[in-house]
This record gives sequence, structure tokens and C-alpha cells, in this order.
Amino acid sequence: MAESGKTNGGSLIWNFKPLGHNALDGFGGMGEGMSMQLAKDGRRILWMAHESAPKNFTAVDVSDPRQPKIVARADLPHAKMRSNSLETVGDILAIAYQTQQTGDPQAGFELFDISVPENPRRIAFFDRSGPHSRGVHQLWFADGEYIHMSSGSADFRPTHPKDDQFYQCIDVRNPSKPVEVGRWWLPGTSAGDNVAPPKRHEGDKDTGFRPHNTNVYPERPDRVYMGYIDGGMIILDIADKAHPKMVSRWDYHPPNYGFTHTVVPLFERDLLIVSDECTRNDGVDWPKLVWIVDNRAEENPVPIATCPMPPVESFARRGGRFGAHNLWENLPKANCWKSDQIVFGTFFNGGLRAFDIANPYQPKEVAYFVPEVANAPTGACQINDVFIDDRQIVYAVDRHAGGLYTLEMDF
Amino acid sequence: MVAMGLLWLRVLCVSSASLCVRFFSLTLRQGRMSDPFAGNDASPFGRRQRRPRGARIPVTVVTGFLGAGKTTLIRELLTRPEGANTAVVVNEFGEIGIDHALLRSSSDTTVLLGNGCICCAVRTDLQESLRTLFAERGRGAVPSFERVIIETSGLADPGPVLQTIASDRALGDVFHLQGLVAVVDAPGGAGNLDQAPEARQQVALADRIVLTKTDLADSAAAAALTNRLGALSAAPVATAIDGAIDPAFLLEESLDLSARVAAHEHDHAHAHSHGIDSFAVFFEGPVPWAVFEQAMAVLTGLRGADLLRVKGLVAVAGCRGPVVVHAVQHVAHRPVELEDWPDGDRRSRLVFITRNLAKAQVEQLFAVIAAIGPNAPRGNEILTSGP
Repeated sequence: MAESGKTNGGSLIWNFKPLGHNALDGFGGMGEGMSMQLAKDGRRILWMAHESAPKNFTAVDVSDPRQPKIVARADLPHAKMRSNSLETVGDILAIAYQTQQTGDPQAGFELFDISVPENPRRIAFFDRSGPHSRGVHQLWFADGEYIHMSSGSADFRPTHPKDDQFYQCIDVRNPSKPVEVGRWWLPGTSAGDNVAPPKRHEGDKDTGFRPHNTNVYPERPDRVYMGYIDGGMIILDIADKAHPKMVSRWDYHPPNYGFTHTVVPLFERDLLIVSDECTRNDGVDWPKLVWIVDNRAEENPVPIATCPMPPVESFARRGGRFGAHNLWENLPKANCWKSDQIVFGTFFNGGLRAFDIANPYQPKEVAYFVPEVANAPTGACQINDVFIDDRQIVYAVDRHAGGLYTLEMDF
Repeated sequence: MVAMGLLWLRVLCVSSASLCVRFFSLTLRQGRMSDPFAGNDASPFGRRQRRPRGARIPVTVVTGFLGAGKTTLIRELLTRPEGANTAVVVNEFGEIGIDHALLRSSSDTTVLLGNGCICCAVRTDLQESLRTLFAERGRGAVPSFERVIIETSGLADPGPVLQTIASDRALGDVFHLQGLVAVVDAPGGAGNLDQAPEARQQVALADRIVLTKTDLADSAAAAALTNRLGALSAAPVATAIDGAIDPAFLLEESLDLSARVAAHEHDHAHAHSHGIDSFAVFFEGPVPWAVFEQAMAVLTGLRGADLLRVKGLVAVAGCRGPVVVHAVQHVAHRPVELEDWPDGDRRSRLVFITRNLAKAQVEQLFAVIAAIGPNAPRGNEILTSGP
């Protein structure tokens, strides 16, 4: 592949050195679950959730990032569902299952024993199916004890069908018998709440009041940092897991389209990095941004900057979506790279981008990788998620066809 | 949380009658529980960098008199793999002789070459050309070039080009002066050095010197010219025949020339002409930034015009890695802290290229300011510790 900066057949590359690429045998449409297992034999196995059926997950040996090799792959239980999100802790894989329709079976999450990566074995299926539930869209599993997730459940009836998922904390200390220990939803989104439902976003901007990412870090085990889609950013106090309480909410839409996606706290700096998700093609919902938020006064988060985006007129019509999506979340695991100076984000057809936030009021772009994806259904890459290991190797996946790219930082 | 006092960077701009002095000032901020500027990996100078240029795009300035062989050198570099993805900024397209390699025209000032390279003619001014290149690159209108080579016109004093990158804050955020290469041709070089102050300036300021056309001059004359270049500058000299030279010699940044300059001082004592001198200054132990900054402010304020270049590594008190400093006359580039020292030597070392300004003067200035700086003994201690 090309060196840093090379055009590489239409790709745009700056301050990354491409190392390897695996289009994953024609199933290169990847979701937003990426997690690295350090196998007992020393191999580094990257587990990835697929964006859509028929594939569930693919595991790739990235010990040599120049030659990523598929070691395991599984199909979904049925075609009207997706996995999308996964995490590993040690030799346990947790993977989220979301069905297309409420009431469909297999909504929930599944735990696998992956001590032999080539042969994942089911430990348990945690059923979250129900008449108003599509199951789990996203899960966070970092401490080996609790899964924090966005899911519906059989006993939950939303006031609006788009608000079907809410925050849940599941105790998996006994992985064969997961138990729910806490839940929280935005007041007004559950039938029977004694407050009025939230005001819907107008027309096509209505994408639901429900959590997307639900991050919990060892520095603050009593906090959940949530992108709450149309509800903006919400921080929960979970010191008492059975009774979560809202600490703060920062909601900046309208005027913007909704869909707050990820909140990454930088504890030493009292900053939050907040991403939106672009969900519409051709720039319809522009701008979808990565925000820098001053969190010194936790009850009153203050946005202070956004990461600079390439010109919308140059990217919006390249095909597919253009705008923010996933961030590198400084996953609190030993085999993950962490930084409070550099932010990595994925921007669909804007590729993978890195920003220096040493001055949080003036983030600067320091690197980008916008690959040319062969057979891209939208005509352009749709870089969906990013993972960075402790060797500072960067892994990026394409949403539709490109599969896995491995890169080296060169900045 | 960070309990210690935290540092904050700001730009100090002091104007006098005819010049603007800029250097960077650090002010201590006390008593804060947390600071959005802090962080596990933070430095007072921003994110610590693996290399002086950090993420910025390296800029190599190629200077030299008419007929010295600048275009041949650049054209040859573009044919090498190491020269791929280069944006070349020239005064006129004709000079670089690109016609045969021209693929298509991007705009009236930019043409795309083979090998992922771009050629851009300076239409209005250099700043505008560099800004345009960067903007077009961001939107994909030109290839994702990874370095810039600026070919200066033959008669140019390279000082203003170096200052442009240092003094334009927006440019300095994205471009980094990687090096200044002076091209000198063996047949004409001696005459140019005799007659033209610009030629002497080009050699004196250079990080690297390329001697060309040695096959067209007799060997005694070429040897004499090499000696003369050695007297004018401590920069490494390499010979290029028909433009062929190790690309790294042109493109890679030498982090530390102080040892070379120190040796040069020894070898070429009193050999300098026209008052231009280069020397290296070393400091043992960490230097408080306030001392360094004040000494440089005095130097630039009083003798900026004679401070042709200052470049080096400073062991700043409280910093883990060395701080790269670079000044051109009155203007300082943004200082950068590196993740680590390049070798075991932890001394501060600065290379000065000056006009009518001696090493002893500079050393005395730093000593005087250090004597009243933050780490100096208090006045009453000095008074009571006398004989």
C-alpha cells in the first residue's frame, strides 16, 4: 500500500502510514463494535461486529497488522437482525443483538467463551425481546463485571415507538446467568411516567430519545456518559446502580439535527468529547460534529469548540453519509492506546480523522485517511469505527464493503 | 486532577518603531483544581511531539543563484520514490521545466505532475500560494501532498521566506520549515560569493549546501570553493552531478547541528567574512523558560536584524523532553517540546548565525539574565554571602 501522504488510487492520506487491508472475503460491511483480545497463545485477535445480516461477527488475527487474517466468523441467528456492537474482556465476548421489528426473537445480547478464538462457544443468551423491544443496539463491557447498554425489554412500553431503548446495567459476574441490576430512561419516554413526553424533533429530524453509547470508566465508576440521540448528552450518577440519577444534560438540538452518539470523558482535563452521528446521505443532516465540552462544572457542561471538518461542499455529494460518527473511546483496557491530547473520529465518506486538542478551544486536524473503496455501494467509503491498540496501531472499518484497514500514526 | 501550577502559552507581541518582535511567553497559573489545557500527556508547549515538525507539513526551501542548478536538483528529486507526493512552489512554471510531465491543469496557478506531485506558481505572494495549496488539498482538489519544496528566485535573500512561515500564524500551524538548502555551482559560485551579498546570505543561512557542476570546473577551483563554503557555514556540503543526490540530504531535518558548529568554530576561527558568524552555545542544567525567553527578547529587540538564525534544543526547567526553538531575525517559530532527547546529551544547545554579534556577547547576555532569573540566588543571599 501507499506510504503516508500518497494518493493511492484516489485515496486521501495524511500522516497515516497504511499497513494492511482485508476486505473480509466480500463481507466487509462492518458495524461499530471493535475489541481486541490478547489470546492465551499471544495472538492479538480483533473482534468486529458486522453492520448487517447475514454476518454476526468476524475475528481477525492482527498480530502482524500488515497481514490481518480471519480466524473466526459467525452468522446471525436470523436475517432480520443485526449485531452492530460488541466488546471483549479476557476470554469473554459480549455481542449486542437488535432486531428489525419489535417483538422479533433473539433480541438481547449473547456471551461467548472465546478462549479458543477459532471456536467461540455460547455461554449465555440474555433475552431482551418483547412486544415493544428491538433488543440491544449498543453495549459497553470493560470491567468484566457489568454490561452497560442501550436496550428495550419485555416489560417496557415507550410513550413513542422511537424511544424503545433505554439505559440498562446488567451484572455478568456470573456470565452464565446475567442479571439486570439497574435501569434509567429519560423521564416521559416510558408509559406511565408522571411527566410529559419530550417534544419530538420536527418531521424527519425525529430519531428518538434513547441512548446510543453508554460509557463507564474506572476513573469514575459512578458515572455513565451517554449520547442520548435526540436527547443530547446525558451524564448519569450510578453510585447506586439500582437507582441511577441524572447529573446533567446538554441538548443542542434543535437547531441541529439530533443523534448524539458518543461521549468520551478526558478526566485529567475535565473535558468531554462528544460526537454526533450523521444518519442521512448527501449532507442532508449536516453539520454532524465532534464537540469539545468543558465539564469542569459537571452540572453545567459548556461546549467550547468543534473539531474542524473538511469543506462540506467537497464531501457532501461524494456518496453516502458525510459527518461525525464514532470516536476512539480510550477504552479502559490494558491492550488499548489512550490519549487526552489526540481525538480520533470516523466521518463516513470523510474517512478517519485525527485532531490535536492540546488547545481545546482550537482543535487542529493532524491526520486523515479516506480510502478509495472498491465496489462501494454509495460510491464512496463510509468509515464507521476505529480501534487503537497499545502498539499505536490504528484499525478502521468501512460500513459497507471496505472491511478492515490497519494504519500507523505518523504525527 | 492536576494540583500543581499550570502553564499557559501566549504570544507576546512587542512593537517598536520599525519591527515586530514575537516570542512565546509562559505565565504560571496557580491554584486551579483542573485545567482544560492540562492532561496526562500535556506539555506547556502543547502536545509533545515525536519530531520537531509534529504533524505539520515539512517545507524545504531551495535557494541558489541563477544557473546554480536548483531546478535540475528538484526535477531529479521528483523522479525518485522519496520525492513522490511533493508540492513544488516556483516563481514561474517555465523554470522547473515541467512541460513533458504535465498531466492536467488544476487551476491557473497549479499543475499536477506525475508521481503524485504538484507544481504551483507563486502568483501573488508565497503566503497566498501556500494557503491555497493547503486548502485545495483539504478538499481533495489537489493530491494529498506530504511535503512542499519552495524554489526561491536566484537573487533572493532566503531570510524573508523563512520569516514568512514563522510569522504567519496560520501557516506556521500547518507548515514547518524543514530545512534551507543552498545550491552553489562550482564554475560560478566563487564569483557570486565575491560579488553578491545575497549569495553569501544564502550559504550562511543554509542547513545543507549542495555543490553542483563540479565536472565543469577544475578540481583545484572546486576544492577552493568547498573550503570557502566551509568557512562561511557549518552546514554539511554534498556534491550533486546532474541533480543526483541522496534525497534524505535534501528532505530530512537535522535535529542538532551544535556539535558540527562547535567544530566549525574551532576549524575556522577568524575565517569569516562580512561579519557573518556561526557559533554554538551550550548550557548545563535546565533553563527556566522565563530566562530563555527574556534573553531572546533582548537579543531580538536590540539585534534582531543581525540575528540571522537561531536554532536548537533547550532543556527547559520542568519539561521532560527538549524544547525545539527556532528564530529568524525578529521572528520566532512556535516552540515545540519533543517526547525525548535525540541522544544522551541533555545540555541545551543553540546554534547562532549572526552578523557582527559575537559568541561571547550572547553567552554573557544569557548569564546576566540567568543571574536574576527564577532560579538565581536572592539578592540578600548574595549580599550576606560575601567574603
